[in-house]
Order: sequence, then structure tokens, then C-alpha cells
Amino acid sequence: MDPIAFFVEPFAYDFMQRALGMSLLVAAVCAVLSCYLVLKGWSLMGDAISHAVLPGIVIAFVLGIPLAIGAFVAGLACALMTGYLKYNSRVKEDTVMGIVFSGMFGFGLVLFTKVETDQHLNHILFGNVLGVTAGDLLETAIIAGGTLLVVLAKRRDLLLYCFDPNHARAIGLPVNLLHYGLLILLSLTIVSSIKAVGIILVIAMLIAPGATAYILTDRFERMLLIAVAVACGSAALGTLISFHIDGATGACIVLTQAFVFLIVFLFSPKRGLWPLHKIFGREGSGSPEQVRGADAP
Amino acid sequence: MSDILTELVVPFSYDYMWKAMWVSALVGAVCAFLSCYLMLKGWSLMGDALGHSIVPGVAGAYIIGAPFAAGAFFAGILAALGMAFVKAHSRLREDATIGLVFTTLFALGVLMASLHPTSVSIQTIVLGNILAIPDSDATQVVVIAAVSLAVLAFIWKDLMVTFFDETYARSIGLRTRMLKVVFFTLLSACTVAALQTVGACLVIALVVTPGATAYLLTDRFDRLIAIAVGIGTVTSFVGAYLSYFIDGATGGVIVTLQTLLFLAAFYLAPKHGVIAARRKARVVRDDNLRKGSGLPESGPVQESA
Repeated sequence: MDPIAFFVEPFAYDFMQRALGMSLLVAAVCAVLSCYLVLKGWSLMGDAISHAVLPGIVIAFVLGIPLAIGAFVAGLACALMTGYLKYNSRVKEDTVMGIVFSGMFGFGLVLFTKVETDQHLNHILFGNVLGVTAGDLLETAIIAGGTLLVVLAKRRDLLLYCFDPNHARAIGLPVNLLHYGLLILLSLTIVSSIKAVGIILVIAMLIAPGATAYILTDRFERMLLIAVAVACGSAALGTLISFHIDGATGACIVLTQAFVFLIVFLFSPKRGLWPLHKIFGREGSGSPEQVRGADAP
Repeated sequence: MSDILTELVVPFSYDYMWKAMWVSALVGAVCAFLSCYLMLKGWSLMGDALGHSIVPGVAGAYIIGAPFAAGAFFAGILAALGMAFVKAHSRLREDATIGLVFTTLFALGVLMASLHPTSVSIQTIVLGNILAIPDSDATQVVVIAAVSLAVLAFIWKDLMVTFFDETYARSIGLRTRMLKVVFFTLLSACTVAALQTVGACLVIALVVTPGATAYLLTDRFDRLIAIAVGIGTVTSFVGAYLSYFIDGATGGVIVTLQTLLFLAAFYLAPKHGVIAARRKARVVRDDNLRKGSGLPESGPVQESA
């Protein structure tokens, strides 16, 4: 196939232009959040919250309020309930998290079966980026843009909180506010991505870019930049690929991101398994980092 | 009145409902058995990861017409190797590694299903569909669950010793490495079975919630297993029965029931429940006040028993 046509042809369609815009937006905001989640060890918090938004969407539909609000409240409720149940019982945190989000997801499924909605379950679960309307795009732009602005404005405070909550408290940062703030931002991110990639595949977008960037650099600002670049590049490429092979768009984006991770994981100059400069035989820039990489936490 | 009664026994008159109820109960029982170990060891999210990871295997098996259990098992092993490999060669935390691998495999499954929409229904894989399970699939599930249950009944004590005091286990001559391999094989096998009853997203509930509920009700491991298996069996059977009345979402009903039981135990459990803990705190406070020694020094008295 003509390589130029590969990139240009799809965008003759309006829906593809909107799909691309949507994917890029969602990829960018997820990538920024993923850097914090990977560092804080909260990767599975994204998993829990995203499953838990399902009943919120159905209930919001029944009540006639915007679905995004229902989803947001449900996601946040999952996080808060996990905290409450863990504090008041002797069950471990990961177990409590599993119970709460699977219970909410199961309840959501029951509700969905009982309630007549105009929503398609497959679209909620796996996204439907080719079917987004201009209104959806605007809604996502507002939620994702707002989230992005807040995270970037508070990036240093959040970073310190993720690395060392005690230090953050000692120097007088409002640690509780940061904790719940991060949870709220995470829920908002997930809500904004539902239309594009769905509530199950968003988990991948909240891990892969941050993990890729973490392998490549030791500096946080650079990590943010790399994560966003990787995520947006993969989103654009994934959308194009899905157009040409006629496959699920969300899955294509996620798989492209995973592919980039794999490349970086194998060939990254500092911590890769087979660093490029070794393959091509250039000596001198040996990497002591590699040894450290293996046993770091 | 008699109308309602007839209504209620209608599900029992259908063969497919009997099949759904018994198969669900069996799977619920064996998953609940495993949940006792997972929950105490803090491996709860392994169940979630496995449940999502085997989706491409199941999709692939349906596309080429192989037994789904074989495909699922293959994907499960691939996931375990992938996680171990990434973890050994990068500085990523364990949770990020697990998340990365299982979401990638899951996306692969979604893509495969979207490319072959006629032979694979992604909705069936993700949400389960025990009410319409074909006989060949049901047989695979029953064999897996029954064999796993038999093996567990035989080695549950050895597993307990291995997981909670490995040094002691080795000193009395148990082959701990072997037992762990057996355990994780059983876990993958049961994940595959659970996929058919409740679907990939809800597998985690079956392998976590019953154990956690039982943990609030007892302090002895043999009773823990008995209670958990009881809960798993009954909720799965009743859940499948109830799902007849709402035309589907069997997995959702089963998991909702299990979660409700957990919440009930969380509040009402005689010793470890929230209400019991509050009452105990009050009694201790009153005692202390009577003795004139003031309030107890630190807040929750929950652990003092």
C-alpha cells in the first residue's frame, strides 16, 4: 500500500478525524496520570476504579443525569469504600479492593440487564471511538483538559506525595488533600476515556506509557514528556491501524502502546535487555545502570 | 399464592437451568476453596490478572475450533512467563508488571474477537454465559472443577503449612516447590472454569470474596475453608437460579450475592464485625471508667481480643 495513503486516506472521513482527536486527548491525559500511578504503585487502583464505574453509568441513565457524573461518583465511591472497609476490618487491602470493584461491576451488570438503556454494553466495556460525536469530543476535551491542567499545575506536590508521603507531610503539604485529589483526578481520567477506549482497556493506558517512560529516564519531567509522546504516537498509529485492518480501535491503541513498551524494554540504551549500542558494537558508553536496574524496587 | 409457587419452581423444570445451577455451584465451591489461600497470602489480584490474561487463548481456541480450556491454559502460561520475564529484567514494580501484561493480553483478545466476530463473542467471554453453555464446554468445566476439588481435598493441609510456614513445611519433609506449582496450576485451571460461569471480569470475585467473608467469621483454617466453600456453593447455585428471572447476567447475580454476604459479615460478624467491635470498645471504656483509670490509651480495641 502507498505509505502516504496509509496516513492520509482515513482522514478523508469526518468520523476518523474525530476519532483521532479523541484518542490523542485521552492518551495524553492517561499518560500523565500513568507516570504517577507507576511510581506510587497504584497501577491496580486504575483497574479497580474503572471496573467500578459501570453501575454509576446505569444509575445515571435511570436518573437522567449525565453519564459522566454517575461514572465519576461510582469510581470515587469504590476508592472510598475500599479505604473504609480496609480500615475497619482485618482483611488485606488488595483483597478488599477486589471485593469492592468486582461487587460493583457485578451489580452493574445486573442493573444493565434489568434496565432498558440506549447504551450498548460493548461500547461501555471496549469503547466506540469511531462513533463519537462532536458533543462527546467537547465533553471529553473539558474533562480531560481540566484534569491535565490540575495535574500539571500540581505536578511537584503530587510527585513528592507519591515518593515520600511522610516528607510531604513534614514540609507542610496537605497530604490528605493530595491523596484524595489524586483519586479524584484518576476517576475523572477514567470517566473521560470511557467513550474512546472503554472501561476495561483504559487500565492499559493508565500503565503502559508511564512504565515505558520509567525505563527510559530517571528524571520526572522527562518521564512525563516521554509518556505523553509515546501514548499520543501510539494512539494515532493504533487508530490508523484499526481503520485499515477493521479491528477494535481501543485494542489496537493498547497493543501499539504495549509494542512500544516491548521495544523499549528490549533495546533501551540504559536498561534494555540488549541495548542498541551493544548490538551495533559501539563500546565506551557502557551501562552500569543495567545492574542497578535489576534490583531496584 | 400457588401461582407464585409455580413461578418459583419453573427454573427447575428446564434441563439447561439444572445444568447451569450445578455447574455454577461446583465452580463456586472450588474457587472458594482457593480463595482462602489467595486472600491470606495477599495474592488477590493474581486472580484478576489470570482472568483477563486467558481471554486471547479462549478467543483463539474458538477461532480455530480447539477446546477452550487448552487455549486458556496456553494463554495463562504465557501470561505467567511474561510477568516473570518483565519483572526479572526491569525495575518496574510488581503491580505495574502484572497490570501491563494482563491488559496487553486482554486487548489482544478483544482485537482477535473483533476480527472474527462470527466465531467469537467477546461479550460471552467477558461476561460468561452459563445459561447457554454448550455441552462440550460444560463437560470441560465439570472435569476441571471436580479434579481440582479432589486434589485440594487431598492436599489442603500441606498447602496450608507450605504457605504459612515454609521452613517448618520443609523440615517435616514436604516438597514445597512442588506444592506451589500444583497450587498455581489449580488456580489457572479454576480461572478457566470460572470464566465460563461468571466471565473474565468477575473471576476475581469468586477467588477472593468467599474466603474474605469466612475470614471475618472464624479464626480456624479448617472452618475457614468449610465456610468459604459453603458460601461459594450456595451463592453460585442461588445466583444461577435467580438469573433465570432476569434473563441473564448470571455472573453479575452470583457476585452481587457474594458481595452482599461479605458486607453482612463485615457489620454483623460476632467477633470481627464492626458492630461487635464497637460494642466491645464501649464495654472496655465503661469498665475503665468504673475502675477510674480513664479511657484506654489508643482508639480501636478491635485487636485486643
